[in-house]
Amino acid sequence: MKTIKLLATTVVLLFSGVNMMNSQTTGLQVMQKVYDLPSGKDTQAELTMTLINKQGEKRVRQLKQYIADEGSVEKKIMYFTAPADVKGTSFMNWSYSSAKDDDQWIYLPALKRTKRISSGSKGDYFMGSDFTYDDLGERHPDEDTHKLLREETVDGKPCFVVESTPKAKGHMYSKTITWVLKDTYIGLKREFYDPNAKLLKTLTIKNFKKISGVWVILDTEMKNVQKNHSTTISLANVKINQGVPASKFTERSMTMGQ
Amino acid sequence: MKLTTKKLRIYSWIALVVITLGSVYFVREMTQNAYMETDLDEYMPKEHPAFKYSDMAEEWFSIKDGILIAIENKSGVFNTGTLSKIKEISVRLQEMSQFEENDIMSLYTADNIVGTEDGMDVQPFYEEVPGLKSEQDSLRQSVVSNDMVYGRLVSTDGSVALIAASMKDDVFDEAFYEEIMDFAKSYNGDGDVIYVAGRPIVEGTMGMLGPQDMKRMVPVVMIVITLVLLLLLRSFRATLFTLISVLISTIWAFGLMSATGVPIYSVSTMMPVMLIAIGVAYGIYFYNHLNRYRLLKPQSGDADAVLHTLGVLWKPLSMAAFTTIIGFISLLTSQVYPIKYFGLFTAFGIFMAYVLALIFLPSSILIFGSRKYKIKAIDDNPTYTILNRITDKLLLNKKTTLIVTIVVIVISVIGLQKVWINSSFLDKFEPNSEIVLTDAFVNSKFGGTSTLNVIVESDDADAFKQPANLRLVDQLQESTEQLPKVGNSFSLTDYIKRMNKVMNADKEEFYAIPDNNEMVAQYLLLYEMSGDPENLVKVVNYDYNKLNLTFQLKGDDSKTINEAIAVIKSFENEFEKNGLKINYAGSGYKALVFSDLILEGQMGSIFLSLALVFILLVIMFRSFKAGLIGSVPIIITSLISFGVMGLGNIALSTTTALISSIAIGIGVDYAIHFLQTYSVYYKKTKSRHEAIHETMRHTGSAIVSNAIVVIAGFLVMLFSVFPPNRMLGLLVSMNMLTSFMGTLSVMMILVYTAKLFRPGKKHISSNNEINDN
Repeated sequence: MKTIKLLATTVVLLFSGVNMMNSQTTGLQVMQKVYDLPSGKDTQAELTMTLINKQGEKRVRQLKQYIADEGSVEKKIMYFTAPADVKGTSFMNWSYSSAKDDDQWIYLPALKRTKRISSGSKGDYFMGSDFTYDDLGERHPDEDTHKLLREETVDGKPCFVVESTPKAKGHMYSKTITWVLKDTYIGLKREFYDPNAKLLKTLTIKNFKKISGVWVILDTEMKNVQKNHSTTISLANVKINQGVPASKFTERSMTMGQ
Repeated sequence: MKLTTKKLRIYSWIALVVITLGSVYFVREMTQNAYMETDLDEYMPKEHPAFKYSDMAEEWFSIKDGILIAIENKSGVFNTGTLSKIKEISVRLQEMSQFEENDIMSLYTADNIVGTEDGMDVQPFYEEVPGLKSEQDSLRQSVVSNDMVYGRLVSTDGSVALIAASMKDDVFDEAFYEEIMDFAKSYNGDGDVIYVAGRPIVEGTMGMLGPQDMKRMVPVVMIVITLVLLLLLRSFRATLFTLISVLISTIWAFGLMSATGVPIYSVSTMMPVMLIAIGVAYGIYFYNHLNRYRLLKPQSGDADAVLHTLGVLWKPLSMAAFTTIIGFISLLTSQVYPIKYFGLFTAFGIFMAYVLALIFLPSSILIFGSRKYKIKAIDDNPTYTILNRITDKLLLNKKTTLIVTIVVIVISVIGLQKVWINSSFLDKFEPNSEIVLTDAFVNSKFGGTSTLNVIVESDDADAFKQPANLRLVDQLQESTEQLPKVGNSFSLTDYIKRMNKVMNADKEEFYAIPDNNEMVAQYLLLYEMSGDPENLVKVVNYDYNKLNLTFQLKGDDSKTINEAIAVIKSFENEFEKNGLKINYAGSGYKALVFSDLILEGQMGSIFLSLALVFILLVIMFRSFKAGLIGSVPIIITSLISFGVMGLGNIALSTTTALISSIAIGIGVDYAIHFLQTYSVYYKKTKSRHEAIHETMRHTGSAIVSNAIVVIAGFLVMLFSVFPPNRMLGLLVSMNMLTSFMGTLSVMMILVYTAKLFRPGKKHISSNNEINDN
């Protein structure tokens, strides 16, 4: 099940009753807890994605997005609301829990047609941002070996610091280091290291809030320190488990706007 | 007198110790700090607005110079072996720290934007190397049908594939040059031939050959000069000390360069030859005067002879040295740093040669003694009669001489207008050298190894989502591509046209800019969602109001770039109507601006050195007329020099641009010696005729031997591996020849006819004059 979670554009659910960690806590346990946080059935939100290049130029996009978790498939549909020249453009993604590749569609109002597009590989950057599809998706803890490096406080909040190294060779990151809040198991910060073990990107969670009983990350920033490029994602008007009909995730619905 | 001799010997020892210590210091500096600058960007003035703009644009669009690795397989590149090599080379380059992963462009890394039944796909051309013939054929098909790679990454005849790797800044050095060459060449074989081209490779080759050339030339020039010196001085010891003194001046010049942190530029590799050729002349003057004194007073001691020689020599030698120094110092007017430094440090070297001629040579005689010179009496010198005969002939045929001179000047002026500047770095190499042949090969198969970046800007955000603007850019690309030397061009329009086509069932008529800006914006969004958005960053900025057009050119010379710019400029008005500004960037354009600066600097330094030499002559001889007449030979020399360059199709380059100021600085020596001697004799004899004959007899022969040495020294440059250096040697030699001939013919006639240095009307003595007609 490919729920979008910790590093996602969207939501992290609070796993209740987690305060049972003791001194034998391992890195794997921490990451498993993070992974095991159940997600909401559906989510709606207004999303603003801002890309900032090294010259300080910004590219701002606003979207309205709907996500539904149907078990074996997670469906997502996004409608562009700004800039004006792409208003009405919509993007739909079906992500399967099986090995099957994602299905992706795009509707271009200027062309008045819905087109399938090939899903990029997991290492591709999403919409020119600093997030890869992989960063946005979920990574099963079994894919990495985890090591609890230390415990420390970030902004006065106690955190576990876990280093995760991919088991498979040739992954785009040689390792990641994650700061996980001890009380909520929300990842506050993550560092991504390139194959040469040099720091590549830093993800920072700037703002999160409990909505309808679910922890929602509202503001995140991903900064590529090597390219001096960054992406911020902010959510507004988040609605959790308000019911999004299955008919929302159809090609027909893409053409009708939000 | 005895006491003086003793004191003089002490001074001599002190001088020798100081000179040795200085030399040791400078040799240490040289061995520790000297380095060759091969980054051509370092040759250009960074504060110049054109360079500033280009640097900015290079930053916006990460415009970098690329190494081009071409892999040729005569039976086509679409076979397992060649495709594997393309993949392996690409992957291994991506892993090298000198490249960014995104900057390696090849068939393996390229995005293939294709239309599918129900949409659009951006996919690699291949990931796993296709093993089956049918798979290879379908790969070939997808390449041929994609204008974004066909003819760009695979040649249109299918026999060559290109891997273009843009380098990070400042990572190219000699070690990496060798590493990358070895790496690329290791893929030779199995029917595949590897070619490596691109500007970094040109720079690297130059960096390798430059010092090699210098190492080879110095011994040759030493041998030639030694032979000439032995012939002229007829003394082994005098030859040795002259050589030591010019070597020391060269060491000090290079040592000072290293001590002040100035790198060795390609032009500086000519310094040793110049310093040696010019410096030995001072030694010749010194020993000639010493000899003459010895002949007159065979019983005189060393101290006596040396003191006398210095007394006679210091004034004309100072004049000769300072005019030459002025010639080199005038190069400081150039905005081009390598030329500035070349002028400055060569001037210092010449100053040292001059100082050493006045200190080291006398000291060496006082310490080590001197041999008896086996020199013939000057009056027995056969040049005496020849030169006097020539003098009479010339004076009798003044009109003919002047007419011939005027004809030569007219022809030169005609030739002068044909002089062109060449900023090409490739043209510095042998036409049949590997680097030139490789470049020609890659140019014949692809768009071109040189690039010109055209930057279009608008004040309005999203200007380049507007179809009207994009169409204009598209027309500009199309018109410029009509030029034979413009291979192809690449910009945002190519992406949009390609996407418009594949989104419309691959129909050829849709290979065009769509009609509304929403469509453009949505295509771009689509590309960002499915492709590698970093590729777009190289053609347009985030606000869609700065555009980078890349033109591939088949030559890095000024003519090629100027032709392309002329076409682009013709679009300026139309662009302006849409609020679009055109600017230029990239290494090709910088080289062009650079060559204009060279010409500007050249003109500046010629006029400056002429003016300074003129003023010096006026002051020295306290006569305005002497200044004018003394400048005649060098003016004629400069004109002929440029005339020959124009008529002989020899381009001005960073190297040949140096000629005139050098020629003026050295050439005027002859005039100075001539005028100096003439003024003395004229005062003594009060007869123009006698004075001119005496001058021709004494100074004439000195000038001839000086010219022989300098010409011989500069002709050594014919052994250089760099054609422009050979040209320089040839031209400077020719200039020396024309200045010495001009001095002894036209100037001599003018001195005579203009009654120069006539003390006053009452002193006129015309009885000795030969008939004017």
